Amino acid sequence: MKILIVEDEPGLQTAMCSFLEKEDYICESANSFQKANEKISLYEYDIILLDITLPDGNGLGLIETVKAHNPMSGLIIISAKNSLDDKINGLDLGADDYLTKPFQLSELNSRIKAVIRRRQFGGSKLIRFNEISVDTDSKSVHVHGQEIRLTKKEYDILLFFIINKNRVLTKAAIAEHLWEDNIDMADNYDFIYIHVNNIRKKIESFGGTDYLKTIYGMGYKFTDR
Amino acid sequence: MKFLKRINRNYLWLFTSILLVLSLAEFVVLKYIMLEETKESFYDQENLIIKQVKETGETPNIFPIVEVKKVSRLSMNRPLFREIFVEDETDGELEPFLEYSNQVEINDEVYFIRLRHSVVENDDLMILIAWTFFILLISTLGISYLINRRLNKTVWADFEENLRIMESFSFSRNENLQLIKTTTEEFERLNTVVGSLTKRLEADYLAQKEFTENASHEIQTPLSVVLLNLEEILQQEINKETFERVVSTIDAVKRLSSLNQSLILIAKIENQQFIPEKVQSFNTTLKQKTEEFASLFESKNLTLEIEEEGVFEMNMHGQLADILIANLLSNGINHNITGGSVYIYLKENEIRICNTGKPNALGNDTIFNRFTKGNEKSYGLGLAIVKKICDTHHLKIQYTHDEFHCFTIFKIPLES
Repeated sequence: MKILIVEDEPGLQTAMCSFLEKEDYICESANSFQKANEKISLYEYDIILLDITLPDGNGLGLIETVKAHNPMSGLIIISAKNSLDDKINGLDLGADDYLTKPFQLSELNSRIKAVIRRRQFGGSKLIRFNEISVDTDSKSVHVHGQEIRLTKKEYDILLFFIINKNRVLTKAAIAEHLWEDNIDMADNYDFIYIHVNNIRKKIESFGGTDYLKTIYGMGYKFTDR
Repeated sequence: MKFLKRINRNYLWLFTSILLVLSLAEFVVLKYIMLEETKESFYDQENLIIKQVKETGETPNIFPIVEVKKVSRLSMNRPLFREIFVEDETDGELEPFLEYSNQVEINDEVYFIRLRHSVVENDDLMILIAWTFFILLISTLGISYLINRRLNKTVWADFEENLRIMESFSFSRNENLQLIKTTTEEFERLNTVVGSLTKRLEADYLAQKEFTENASHEIQTPLSVVLLNLEEILQQEINKETFERVVSTIDAVKRLSSLNQSLILIAKIENQQFIPEKVQSFNTTLKQKTEEFASLFESKNLTLEIEEEGVFEMNMHGQLADILIANLLSNGINHNITGGSVYIYLKENEIRICNTGKPNALGNDTIFNRFTKGNEKSYGLGLAIVKKICDTHHLKIQYTHDEFHCFTIFKIPLES
């Protein structure tokens, strides 16, 4: 999977690239409208991460180039403008998703995976982790082939864990994934503890292993290592 | 009061008073002229009589208007005028007459001449003048009404149209203020002034808009770098103490970011960058939000009760409606006690969101101020944003507390 990051802030570019490379993506970057335009016209990418505010132009203007030269690639807009108009505009122009700065790598990862799933026509919508399999089409979860019933939030959390397996996720990160704009809500994270416990119980009751490790009471890690 | 109505009213008073004064003057002048005319005709008649007496020696007598008789000696040295009343023979009414008496010497004899002339009655004169006055007034008003109606259709039409354009104008729609050209100098001047004022305001508006957007970008981008790097540190093998430090640093950075976003949001609301796009049903918004927050209600074991007596609808930008409701709900959840309740009441012009909580967490007046904190974790901007949204949408918000802490939003009736 090849990813192009269009972002002018070098610190952000490096952090994103090194994370994505760890996740086995091939990462390229462009720090200006001009360079990005060139790369998009010349090469093929599976995913393009696009910052709207570029020093020499509005990133939205690149969407046209993407549609012309890279029609198969997934497009995620990354913007500091938490503006609904921009979001609607971007999605109308053909972007697959919109991520507001500051974001977390685990969230970026989960968005990229979602776009890839959506883009792979006829591809498998099944995500497997040992005995657990998640069908993202029907939003159902099976353990050892038996379906377990999860609430919508529990399903979201489990999928987030599996996609970000082997990563430490703080309760705040999980809350943010669940709430997006309404992160103000998360005054305390007790409800995450409740959800996580429910997921554990449900998986174990069908003979599944408890892969959730609590990290110092402040975060979780979904891992079989 | 409309300008033309005001002008018409002023005209009415002005005309009435002018006409009253003029009528009085008319009365005096007419009276004087008629008297003078009568007097002159007396002199003419007298001359005719003298001529007749001289030539024929006959003394003409027509009662009651001409009386000529011989007298023994000259007893008057000048002619005498007086007003008398003579009974009319046909209807027995007393009619006013002007009487002229004089003594003249004709052919060495002295004659006494008395002439009378009926004059117009004061009453008749006044009625005549009153009628003239009335007709003048009516015709003036009628004409001014017709003229105004014409002006309204021609001269004022452009003005009214321009007013309409200005009323519906908004900077956030990115359009230019296009006023209709008028041939009236004053209106054209007004258009020029309004045009240049709008240009200046638009420049301010755009500068402010650009600032909020840049401020957002310039601050959020470095904060993203900080957060991403901190997140990567968490992935390494670190001890509990370091982990705690990193997590609390992440919290602080997020707080900073959310604070920045809230402040920018307030600035955007103040700058009226959110155009009300369509009528929002707050009943629907509330139900969506309570569903979204269901797990938060659960985690604090809160019971939720929604009572709908009517549908609260309002023209508002969708994002603002969402923020308004989400902030009030999160306030009701965050400041609640475990096992407490949230009660929502909706009717056509009122939304009330009440929650159980600790007794008087905040004073009534300070609660909507920026950075007023109820507990150490909240940023104190949620309610300030709510207040700002209310202030810019003809809504009034009130905080009351007794057993429950209640936020009530009322629609302020629009004055026509």
